[in-house]
Amino acid sequence: MPPSAVLELNHVSKRYGNTPAVIDISFSVQRGQILALLGPSGCGKTTILRMIAGFVEPDEGTLEMGGRDIRGLRPHERNVGLVFQDYALFPHLTLEENVAYGLRQRGSAKDAIGDRVSEMLVLVRLEGLGSRRPGELSGGQQQRVALARAMAVTPEVMLLDEPLSALDAKLRQQLRFELKQILQAAHCTTLIVTHDQEEAMSLADEIVVMDHGRILQHGNARAIYDAPQSRTVAEFIGRANWFEGKLGPAVSPELREFVTSEGRFFVPANALSQSSAGESFCVRPERLRILAEGLPADEGMNLVQGTLLHVACLGSEIHHAVTLESGRTLICVEQNRDQTIPAAGTRLRLAFRPTDCIFTA
Amino acid sequence: MDTVAPSRPHTDDLRKRQRRQRVADDVARAIVVGVIVFSMLLLLLPLALTVSMSFDARDYLGVFPPPALSTRWYAKFFSDPYLLNGLKTSLQLAALTAVAATALGLSAAVALERLPRRYSQPLMAVFLSPLVVPGVVLGFALLIFYARVGVENTFLRLLAGHVLITFPYAIRTVLAALGGIRPSLIEVAQSLGASPVKAFWTVTFPLARTGVAAGAIFAFVFSLDDVAVSIFLSDPHRYTLPVALVSMLHANFDLTIAAVAVLIIGASIGLMLLLDWMVGLDRVVGAGYYRT
Repeated sequence: MPPSAVLELNHVSKRYGNTPAVIDISFSVQRGQILALLGPSGCGKTTILRMIAGFVEPDEGTLEMGGRDIRGLRPHERNVGLVFQDYALFPHLTLEENVAYGLRQRGSAKDAIGDRVSEMLVLVRLEGLGSRRPGELSGGQQQRVALARAMAVTPEVMLLDEPLSALDAKLRQQLRFELKQILQAAHCTTLIVTHDQEEAMSLADEIVVMDHGRILQHGNARAIYDAPQSRTVAEFIGRANWFEGKLGPAVSPELREFVTSEGRFFVPANALSQSSAGESFCVRPERLRILAEGLPADEGMNLVQGTLLHVACLGSEIHHAVTLESGRTLICVEQNRDQTIPAAGTRLRLAFRPTDCIFTA
Repeated sequence: MDTVAPSRPHTDDLRKRQRRQRVADDVARAIVVGVIVFSMLLLLLPLALTVSMSFDARDYLGVFPPPALSTRWYAKFFSDPYLLNGLKTSLQLAALTAVAATALGLSAAVALERLPRRYSQPLMAVFLSPLVVPGVVLGFALLIFYARVGVENTFLRLLAGHVLITFPYAIRTVLAALGGIRPSLIEVAQSLGASPVKAFWTVTFPLARTGVAAGAIFAFVFSLDDVAVSIFLSDPHRYTLPVALVSMLHANFDLTIAAVAVLIIGASIGLMLLLDWMVGLDRVVGAGYYRT
């Protein structure tokens, strides 16, 4: 175990009856790190969180927290801070009493509890609201109380279950940064479970992508987006335009040809160095550039001919759906930069660089 | 209307059908209102009559309305040692029954809530079975059982019998209250360092206490009200007020019964108002209180 790993899972598996929920999961969270378990609902991420919290026991594998095997310890004997999606604030207690709950259970001195509670309320910027009840708070405020309550007992690991998904989109974006700031200010080692890729990418230092109980990829947000190792990851994180075909001969030390029914493209020569079968690649929507017909393309760009199907301006981004001659539709995203938006039905070309082609397993 | 306009005859036909439907609806509504009014009269008229009888100054059951009013039957009740003895037993019994049935109901409800459905369902059926067994059968069965087992103390016999018949109500109200508590609350409490027992007393119980109180009040009222079971378990020295009233009905009928009935009605209404003020009656039977 690396010296700074606070939480480490080794080959953890869990099945319910005959249904495997979690299969051979291994990862570790370093001190002060924020790690996100990202996957669709039912992928096993919540089971992992519940195993760490002690509500579920793994069938196989080891679970270590702070270098100590925590298997068999009951929830109240583990030192984790839980924040649920529904916040689970105690409705019969005031904010102060909510935040103090964990300290009381640990038998801290009264003065120490009072000091810690006010410290936490300042940290989550709810000072002065201590005597309110949870029902009198907004969703965002409740979320911060839940956070303060969990952090008050200085847990070894914070476990956040879909921490922002109960909030509306606008508030969610705003609170992401706030949440990250609070967690970082307190140097919390944190595990976030979420199905929201933006939440994972904006909050976490590292992301573990899961599906069907298995880990698909583990890395930082950029690596997962730019170099997805599988088609599932490429499609789950962001959007992807796929091209199916066959690798052709090398045309230079760096480039090879890729032959599809929609044309020939140049792709990086090392495309096959990974576990890729080399039968398809994808291009992210923002890597496709729109070229009006007749305009010259840069040297070495891949080009594909199409017709604009429809355009949607989403504010900062403009989404274009472009139908190729083969009948397939690609998505192309451009920043809104005062450019002229072509009308639907316009014939145009899409350009992308060879390095924009992503080969996955 | 624009889209329908091209086919006019069709529209007329539709209108005719709608008119017929409306008449049918009006008739149905009138029938429903009639049934409700009739049922309410059926329920309330005897009560109203009882109230009037309890203040009747006459010595016999005379025609309505009474020619003069008096409180003599109330005075008689409060000076009748036989009835007062029954009242004392009834109140003691109801209070103890409420405590015991609620404690048992709370424990049973907590267990039912935690067990997997395939165990909790049959257990629930067992716990609620006193509701479907007729009181007379239950009373007789208990009488035989106590005689066999050797329970001699009449008050104890009554208490056990009353706990048995009120316990299902306590379970139900407590279960409803527990069902309204999100499991995440208990999980959070545990992760904050509360042992399961501590989590129960600091989170579950405070949140369920209105349901628990409601269960206690139900148990109290049903215990106070019971005749069928009590009549088998009473003896000439230890008997409940309703049992005393029944035997009075047989021996020397007078309108004290009406006065007692009115007092019981008053007490019941008072307790129900208390319950409504505490929890809201709809919440006792309706959806959980703490789900948002």
